[in-house]
Amino acid sequence: MVFLEVEMPWNVLIDPDKLDAKGLLLRKAIIIRLLEDIANRKASKEHGYYVAVTALKKIGEGKVREMTGEVLFPVTFTCITQKPSKGEVLVGTVDKILKQGLFLKSGPLESIFLSEKTMKDYQYSAGDNPMFLNDKHSKLEKDTLVRFKIFGIKWIESDRHFQILATLAGDYLGPL
Amino acid sequence: MSGEEEENAAELKIGDEFLKAKCLMNCEVALILDRRYEQLQQMSDDPTNQISQVFEKSMQYVKRFSRYKNPDAVRQVREILSRNRLAEFELCVLGNLCPETVEEAIAMVPSIKSKGRALEEDAIEKMLHDLSLIKKFE
Repeated sequence: MVFLEVEMPWNVLIDPDKLDAKGLLLRKAIIIRLLEDIANRKASKEHGYYVAVTALKKIGEGKVREMTGEVLFPVTFTCITQKPSKGEVLVGTVDKILKQGLFLKSGPLESIFLSEKTMKDYQYSAGDNPMFLNDKHSKLEKDTLVRFKIFGIKWIESDRHFQILATLAGDYLGPL
Repeated sequence: MSGEEEENAAELKIGDEFLKAKCLMNCEVALILDRRYEQLQQMSDDPTNQISQVFEKSMQYVKRFSRYKNPDAVRQVREILSRNRLAEFELCVLGNLCPETVEEAIAMVPSIKSKGRALEEDAIEKMLHDLSLIKKFE
């Protein structure tokens, strides 16, 4: 899984009661608010998933909002992000098995769908512990590690996540 | 990336951000997140607000799938891969997946063998060998 470290701008809103004369406390308030904002934002189509803020590069001059007294600080920070790319090879674990295929997860990426149509020679096998088997006795069941390739990505704005389609078609792909 | 060209990491047709920003391997992210996690514990009385699910899932993942754990080894891995004029994205995929053979490396990152690239099979072989040595001596 390839991560990125990117620099980006943000606006942080600080309550008037956090505006302390001691600069360090204000800085701390800005950092905490920034971390909360980014944690809540989760992901964007442009950057992918926001994993962790790594550094606060710059705090600009605050502007007071007249109605509330809150102060808006423009900041620049660096953040580790994870954005899936079509054609990328990843390792994930099997999360759920269905007749039509299975769901994988890999780091922040969830509900990666691997359709039985793109699973080469694997066949569905029902039972208490459903799985996919091939004639070489290789199997895919819950928690199996799988190396797969991404072949479709769609950003879902309402849930702020990427819907991903995976395939096992290709050399050196499949359960590990 | 130009709008008409379809994204395909296998041909190194990826978003501009991968060419401009710094790409990081699992093992590098594991070291960074470990340190962040400690800092967040110290900084905040209630760190749960700042540690997101994305953070937690990523941390679990990179810790489980990092082939190299100690910081010196991680630095050496990047150093070895950097000698080979790889794009940042290619470098990270190879460092993460640790292919054992030249054939496997090309299957994982087909762009390293595409036209106009100077990377010979001998060079790939040597790179994989050097990486396996780090793993052995870690």
